[in-house]
Amino acid sequence: MNSLSSNLIVVFLLLTPLVGGILVTFFRKKRIIEIVTISSASLVLIQVFFILSIIINEKTLSAFGNAFYIDSFGAVILLPISIVGFVSVLYSKNYMGRQYHIGLVDDRHIVRYYQGLSIFLLSMLVVPITNNLGVMWVTVEATTLISVLLIMLYFKENAIEAAWKYLIIATVGLSFALIGTVFFYYANITAGSSEDAMNWTGMVHNSKLFDPSLVKIAFVFILVGYGTKAGLAPMHTWLPDAHSEAPTPVSALLSGVLLNCALYGIIRFHIVSSGTLGPAFSNQLLIILGVVSIGIAAASIYFQKDMKRMLAYSSVEHMGIVSLGIGFGGLFGIYGAILQIINHAIAKPLMFFASGTVSQKYETKVMSKIKGIIQVMPITGALFLIGGFALVGMPPFNIFLSEFLVLSSGFQSGQFLVTIIVISFLVITFAVFLRHLIKMTFGNPVTEMKKDDMGKLAIVPMAILASLVIIFGFYIPEQLQTLVHNASSIINGGSMT
Amino acid sequence: METIQLDVLKISGAILLIATFGVIARRGFMDWLNAYRLQSVVLAVVTTIIGYVTGIWEIYIAAALTLVIKSLVIPKVLTHVTKSLEIESKTDANPYLSLRTSIIVSAFLVAMSYFLSQQIPFKSDPVVSVFLPVSMAQFFLGLFALVNRRTALSQVVGLLVIENGLFLFTLVLTHGVSLIIEVGIFADILVGIVISSILLFRMSRTFDSLDVDKLENLRDD
Repeated sequence: MNSLSSNLIVVFLLLTPLVGGILVTFFRKKRIIEIVTISSASLVLIQVFFILSIIINEKTLSAFGNAFYIDSFGAVILLPISIVGFVSVLYSKNYMGRQYHIGLVDDRHIVRYYQGLSIFLLSMLVVPITNNLGVMWVTVEATTLISVLLIMLYFKENAIEAAWKYLIIATVGLSFALIGTVFFYYANITAGSSEDAMNWTGMVHNSKLFDPSLVKIAFVFILVGYGTKAGLAPMHTWLPDAHSEAPTPVSALLSGVLLNCALYGIIRFHIVSSGTLGPAFSNQLLIILGVVSIGIAAASIYFQKDMKRMLAYSSVEHMGIVSLGIGFGGLFGIYGAILQIINHAIAKPLMFFASGTVSQKYETKVMSKIKGIIQVMPITGALFLIGGFALVGMPPFNIFLSEFLVLSSGFQSGQFLVTIIVISFLVITFAVFLRHLIKMTFGNPVTEMKKDDMGKLAIVPMAILASLVIIFGFYIPEQLQTLVHNASSIINGGSMT
Repeated sequence: METIQLDVLKISGAILLIATFGVIARRGFMDWLNAYRLQSVVLAVVTTIIGYVTGIWEIYIAAALTLVIKSLVIPKVLTHVTKSLEIESKTDANPYLSLRTSIIVSAFLVAMSYFLSQQIPFKSDPVVSVFLPVSMAQFFLGLFALVNRRTALSQVVGLLVIENGLFLFTLVLTHGVSLIIEVGIFADILVGIVISSILLFRMSRTFDSLDVDKLENLRDD
């Protein structure tokens, strides 16, 4: 691949959502805005598939010198961003249309919403393709600011509260990540690097020469910083508020994709730190955070009454599982963790969409007031069940496979006690989540309701995701397998590429 | 390095620390904002001195940006916001700890920063050894101010002090990494301030108060 065409690939990828966001400002007609945004999101999807096909063949793609660098690991993060971005935009048309219809939002809100959505997508796309870790920090911070704007779209009391907590906690948290990044940079220049010392590729290359005690401190700062943004407990306190108060399509993006971007930052530094210290140090920290996250999520789900908050805590749980898989290490654990990232990014938006439609229909998010979904809205109810089954890790749906890989790698690496504790947490979550799910889906609705699935455009994005959930449970396409495998070997030591 | 340069560095570091204490030791939002403005001016001067000592021209640009954005634009935006909030009592910053206790805690935090920065292995460089503890002290004092104040407005100022500490920290250790990142960080702050202003405005309308203790609708029970 020559440098001009790879530059063009990156430029087009980033220009598509940017132009989409700008065009929205000019047109201001709801119908045109929706068409523009949907087509820009689908263009992004197509381009990402094209990039993926290049990465599968050539392993890496760098553009503008070395400023942008995509490898298999970046690609597996890019894939969910584009898929969830596309289905969220599709779902937005129906969801925001309904809010518009009942007068919750007006034309100005619609313009602001779609602008924000495009720019949000843009900022998330930069994270996995930039090579410069400083730029990565700036864009992750930018995602916080834009998503705060999207959360407070309605200016409802709860949304303002959630947005404020999210803004303060995430910004303070990310300031730790900046300190960690600067420490890594300093370790790199004191180790003798001068050219582009902020670049990840340079850092990995030099990592054996870093000062070990400096790297230890730096990695702790990174873990606290990006861990806050990734929703790892005990820094997760903002997450249930923000994810439950955002408009549903935004919740799907926050939960399914944005958390991955922050985890991506942690894992990138984990690779550098493993180069200096060996994997044991960062693995241990990742395992601890993983177990605490899964435990806190289990306890919170146990006492939960609100449907969307339950889903938010389930995100904390799944981020914990990913962090656990990376921490257990070994090709199996890491393979499982990456698969878990992709699987969670598919199943969680499905669940958010379904529960968003349900709460619009029932006009509540309190689970005890929702009954008999399958009677009132048969298709949505079925999709709701599929998403729920997948999220708790029931076979044969997709998450079962990745969770199984992560847990078996725990036994393989000899961490019996930890694995058994985690399994017991997962069993609690499984039982409670399933009970809520079944109570909501079956039974008779409390009040008489018209049988109605709330429009085709709400069903289509959910159906896309549900079919992916089912397909990935049985069969993972060969190309994706290669990609995930290559990404695992990047994390597992870098030399195997 | 000449001794006179080293002296200038040390004195400017001390002035910066004192200016940071100004933010802790005051009551009332406008006093706070003035203390922050003063701190930012001192920070811009310090940045210029570092630029002169290290001889890297990009640092001058960072200094100019600091002066314009932090001591002019941000205080102006925040003053505008407070004026539009109308009710004076809303902007009063009631700390959880009394001013006297706050000063003592802050002194401990400064001592801790000096202790911490000695634990971290850095090569001997006068700029690093003078300003690294100062920047960490700013960071911790900002965090302290953030958790010690009740109103949302004062939390914003705490955030700004944290950010000043981060700026100095990054500058000292990286000598102005590259202009793109600096500009990116500045843009993030500016947008962050605008967004928090909108939020503050909405908050005072919806809750009729800026007391963060009133933000307790969302919990698990």
